[in-house]
Amino acid sequence: MTYEIRVSRTEGTRSYQVELGNRMTVLDALFRIQSHLDSTLEFRCACRVGMCGTCAINVNRFPRLACRTRVSSLDSQVISLGPLPHLPVIRDLVVSLAPFFDQWKRVRPALRGTASSELAIIPPNPETSRKRDCITCGICFAACGIKATHADYLGPAAINRAFLRLKDPRDTAGMARLKVLNDEWSGVWRCHTQFNCTAACPKKINLTDTIVRLKRAMLRS
Amino acid sequence: MRGLIVKYGGPFSGMVAHVIQRVTGLLLLVYLFLHVRTIYALSQGPEAFDRAVGAFHNFFFKLLEIALLGAVILHALNGVRITLIDLGVGHERQRQLFWVWSIGLGGLIFLAGAIPLFISSILRH
Amino acid sequence: MANAAWWYIQRITGAALLILLIAHFWVEHFVSEALRRGDLTYAAIRARISNPTWQVIDIAFLLIALLHGLNGARNVILDFSRIGRAGARAATMILIVAGMVWAWWGIEAFKNLR
Repeated sequence: MTYEIRVSRTEGTRSYQVELGNRMTVLDALFRIQSHLDSTLEFRCACRVGMCGTCAINVNRFPRLACRTRVSSLDSQVISLGPLPHLPVIRDLVVSLAPFFDQWKRVRPALRGTASSELAIIPPNPETSRKRDCITCGICFAACGIKATHADYLGPAAINRAFLRLKDPRDTAGMARLKVLNDEWSGVWRCHTQFNCTAACPKKINLTDTIVRLKRAMLRS
Repeated sequence: MRGLIVKYGGPFSGMVAHVIQRVTGLLLLVYLFLHVRTIYALSQGPEAFDRAVGAFHNFFFKLLEIALLGAVILHALNGVRITLIDLGVGHERQRQLFWVWSIGLGGLIFLAGAIPLFISSILRH
Repeated sequence: MANAAWWYIQRITGAALLILLIAHFWVEHFVSEALRRGDLTYAAIRARISNPTWQVIDIAFLLIALLHGLNGARNVILDFSRIGRAGARAATMILIVAGMVWAWWGIEAFKNLR
């Protein structure tokens, strides 16, 4: 089937007519364009199986993984592609994830444990078991309605990572993380349960739930 | 940083709810301002008060009053929905919660109030 | 803790306002024949608003509404980082002053009825 792929590129929108099979993905479409139609098109990808998070872009104005989006699922033969919002564009569909990782680092994402042999074993916890799958693709950051207007807000991924660390009994940096999360200007209090992040997350993590749990936890501390 | 509202293929309940809550909230604040200023006329005696209130006894303000009812109902019901979400209730069904509870039930209550208000205003003016 | 308190207060005042609003609407539009007709005049409400108990309830209602509304407005402002942390602090001060003046108008409305 022939699809019209409209790509929002650095110099403007470019339209490409591409022949695609019905099991093909948006990433396949991008490779078709780059190989046969326009070798100057720039985009990122790596694993192409939804594990690495590299190919995140806006598909019909919704942030998704290109490799996990079948063109047939989009219910339209005109597909609009654009770079992820809320992140600086380097070129075409390639954005810099620096603002995302700047927020990520603010919550001290690595475990600050003690020098104990239990470090290799992750304690089981039903509260956190569905929240470990984050691939730092930046989609929640791009979907968030608050990130659209607030450059300093932590964003769902960073908050989710902080939550996992706080729930880890081996961790010792809880206080420092809580301070960052509790900041009225940029912390959990900027979230207003829009659910954009939860709807967009390719790993189906309920990020809104994480943030709401943290808000309730703040009441007690 | 582009765009103020993240757009999707259709109206996304989470964002629509957020914007409605914000817009009705600010409108209600504007109303509260006018209301308190009008009631202040109480301190200036019966004639001043009756004049101040009388200024709003026309069809245009009656329509605004009906709009006010709508704003209050939407803001209140959606506020209840937000509180439920904050308690961890209904996350899997938050879309239905918005359309059925905030908009659906809200619409019914609105009509129950707006229709009598509208009819009584037609009869009086 | 303070931030969490405000989050909590917003929900509590919201619930309180729902009840107070229904009561207020009932008392102002349904409790006497004149009010049911829509004759909202000084004469129709004088008895109720001269009563100090009602005055206290009305003022409490206003204060709770201001707390909820102005905190809400503050959150709308805080969501736009353009204003900056310093700008947000200034906006908070303005809202506090506005709230105090606003509450004063409400309280002063009853000054010749006490």
